[in-house]
Amino acid sequence: MKRREFILLMGGGLVWPAIARAEGGAKLHRIFWVSTQSGPDPFLDGFREGMRALGYVEGTNVTLETHYAPENPQALRKIVSELHRGDVDLVVSSGPATRVMTAITDVPVLFALSGDPVALGVVKSLAHPGTNFTGSTFLSLELAGKRVELLKDLYPKLRKLAVFSNTDHPGEPLEWRATLESCRNLGIEAAYVPFSGAREIENGLMAAGKVDADALLVFPDAVTLVHRARIAELAIAHRLPSMFGWSEYCDAGGLLSYGANQRTTYFRLATYADRILRGEDPSDLPVMRPDKFELAVNLKTARLLGIELDVSSILFRASKVIS
Amino acid sequence: MTDGAADSSSCTMPPRRSLFCKYFATLFVAAVVPLILGAAIEASFGYRDQRRQISAVLQADARAASDRIEAFTDGIRDQLGWMVQLPWSAGDDAQHKIDALRLLQQVPAIVSVSLLDETGSERVFVSRLLLNRTGRGIDMSTDPAVLGARGNKVWYGPVQYQRDSEPYMRVAVAGSLPAAGIAIAEVNLKLIWDVIAAIRIGENGYAIVVDDSGHLIAHPDISRVLRGRASSGSFGRIKHLVGAASGAAVITGERGNPVVALSVPAADVGWTVIAMQPTSEAFASIRAALWRSSMLIAFGVLIALALAYWRAHRMSGPIKQLEEGVERIRTGQFEHRIKIFSGDELQQLALRFNEMASELAISQQKSARIERLKQFLPSQVAELVEHSHELLEGQRREVAVIFGDLRGFTAFSTRNEPDVIMAVMREYYEAVGAVTTRHEATLIGFDGDGVMLLVNAPIACEQPANQAVRLAIDLQMTVQSLAGKWCDAGHAIGFGVGVAMGPATVGTVGYDGRLDYTAMGAVVNLASRLCNLAKDAQILADPTIAGKVRDSVPLASLGQRTIKGYDQALEVFAVAPADLPLKPPGSAQRGREKEPQDH
Repeated sequence: MKRREFILLMGGGLVWPAIARAEGGAKLHRIFWVSTQSGPDPFLDGFREGMRALGYVEGTNVTLETHYAPENPQALRKIVSELHRGDVDLVVSSGPATRVMTAITDVPVLFALSGDPVALGVVKSLAHPGTNFTGSTFLSLELAGKRVELLKDLYPKLRKLAVFSNTDHPGEPLEWRATLESCRNLGIEAAYVPFSGAREIENGLMAAGKVDADALLVFPDAVTLVHRARIAELAIAHRLPSMFGWSEYCDAGGLLSYGANQRTTYFRLATYADRILRGEDPSDLPVMRPDKFELAVNLKTARLLGIELDVSSILFRASKVIS
Repeated sequence: MTDGAADSSSCTMPPRRSLFCKYFATLFVAAVVPLILGAAIEASFGYRDQRRQISAVLQADARAASDRIEAFTDGIRDQLGWMVQLPWSAGDDAQHKIDALRLLQQVPAIVSVSLLDETGSERVFVSRLLLNRTGRGIDMSTDPAVLGARGNKVWYGPVQYQRDSEPYMRVAVAGSLPAAGIAIAEVNLKLIWDVIAAIRIGENGYAIVVDDSGHLIAHPDISRVLRGRASSGSFGRIKHLVGAASGAAVITGERGNPVVALSVPAADVGWTVIAMQPTSEAFASIRAALWRSSMLIAFGVLIALALAYWRAHRMSGPIKQLEEGVERIRTGQFEHRIKIFSGDELQQLALRFNEMASELAISQQKSARIERLKQFLPSQVAELVEHSHELLEGQRREVAVIFGDLRGFTAFSTRNEPDVIMAVMREYYEAVGAVTTRHEATLIGFDGDGVMLLVNAPIACEQPANQAVRLAIDLQMTVQSLAGKWCDAGHAIGFGVGVAMGPATVGTVGYDGRLDYTAMGAVVNLASRLCNLAKDAQILADPTIAGKVRDSVPLASLGQRTIKGYDQALEVFAVAPADLPLKPPGSAQRGREKEPQDH
């Protein structure tokens, strides 16, 4: 062997992994972001942040194509037919869109659901999804009763609770049933205020204001999240202590929220996206559940409400206090 | 080069190649074996050191993980301990509830807390997910947690996978006073992930935690834990294999790749922490060292190959040259020279060889010259010319001169064809030459049918006169026997001989390639005259000869004769030995036809 070959061999050994890595990273992954919601999409921002943290740069090694079909499941079906043509590496869906995505069997689908994905039928079990679906659940169903209890802890005089719910949301009936049961256990009358999608939210809010409730419980979902400021405003206007699912609602003026951290959830969803893009089978990736729940309380809103609240019962266990 | 040389070189090829091979192999082995041996020893020691070091690192990391897990469980135990410090009293439930809620706030891993009174009935239940309960509730006195805590103060429950996915464990602590009751916490073990994920051994090494039956509790890839009990089987195998080994063991890891693994028990909870690192990484440095060594060996082998080849070539090349030189010398190419400039013994050998070749060439030239000289000089003279010049230098000495001459040759030569004449002459010359050689005399030369011989010059002999006479007799007899044959063929040819002795000047004369040894002096003339005087078959001798051989050879005095060139008459003797044959018939007719010659 000659000197030159020797150097080539040694140098090659050092350079090769770098090249391999560069080649692996150079592939442009195509991700469809499918939602029934229209922008601004707070979930997308969280997911983007997670992907960036994992070294993905949009336009360089990943493209995120957003497909919003507000109020129009038919439009989503068109997306499904587009997906069947191939060359899409991953679909990320949230909320009602996930239900439509069940038609897809050959492209991995990541979801973020507040409900139970097993009950929804997209996965076989949490431990082994066994389908092309996997993702995160916010455990809204399990937390539904807890939210009523916390609201009552803060506002012991609670007798009638308006439950503001988007019926478009998957798992919504189960959530309502769990809420209803907790209300019964706690001796509270539940007033169901359903609405269907963003288009009906104004009507829904008007209805919520008219049920003559003591407090307002809002199921967390994309529609209510986008309109959180409007909902919070209405609650304050009607002097209703309000309970939400995520701390983002409190930031926008909601009184209380109890639920998983959105940012963490979407960050984790991005790690799954990364693993699937690297070739892992979604059917082997267990559905993630949050392990930490945030209790947020907005003291500013509490003051604005001007009603007697047992803030001390909440403060010592709140993880986030807005004052 | 001739065919013969080519053949000989091809037949000597194998031994030369084998010499080359031997040198080559020896030099090569001498260079490569220590290299390989060194690398192997270094590798084996390196492997042992590395193994020990990996063991230490894994031990430290596993121990750290185990300590942190114990800190985690101890933290929960201590926190629960606060819950059961005071005995229950009526109306305490609200305060206990607040304490329990605070505990939830304090310890994120705890999902729910049950506080039981001394009877084992639930008094307070707070949860992150379920609705809180206060007041006398369900009777848990037969719950294993209660029984365990009552027995040991602290009880750690088995790991359970909620919805067959998330690992949970119940921890129960009994107060030091039985009246303080028991606190039971449900702990989400997913939160140990923080402890495990923080452990990075090298680049790809990590630690996992399994329970007593080998079910996975914590893994840096949390999704493995979330796959629940069903997928934990392989970890049981790993736990078993690692547990069986003392120190670090090389086993097949969870992904089927070989890993170095070491386990440490987390005592309180009965779990096992297994730290592992892929062998590819753990032994990367030793592999790199081996790679370097093998590169070095390869490099060394190449150098050794080149050097050995060069050295062997340097050795066998000159040998081949010498061999070829010998072959060339053998075929007479003495001008061949060997050029070796190795500066060692081989060069010296080549120098000697060249000297030998040049000396051989000189000696060859000498013998070639002698061969040439022999064509013109008597062979003794020719040898002398080459070897002892002083003998041939002109000098005056006592010599015996013999002249012989055919009778009736002129008539014969005019009557016969040249081929017959030449045949006779050839026989005559051959006979004379043979006799001369036999008696170690010097043949001065032929002059047609005449011949002149010299005794005692240049080579001296003890009794020149006797020798000369014996030669003359032999000569006469030999030629006479030929003459008889010639007579039978019808040629009347006779032969007469004259012998004289006296001082003469002898020496070589000549020019260029021509060289003659001759004698000059009265004795030469006398011998010639005597020859002329002699009749066929007669040998005439002068008084000097006669005086010297009188005792040994019968002589007959022919009386005083007048010899041309001599003032006084000389007594002439005829040699008449007893064995001298009778005059053959017809010899009388052979007259003297030759005039005496002057010399």
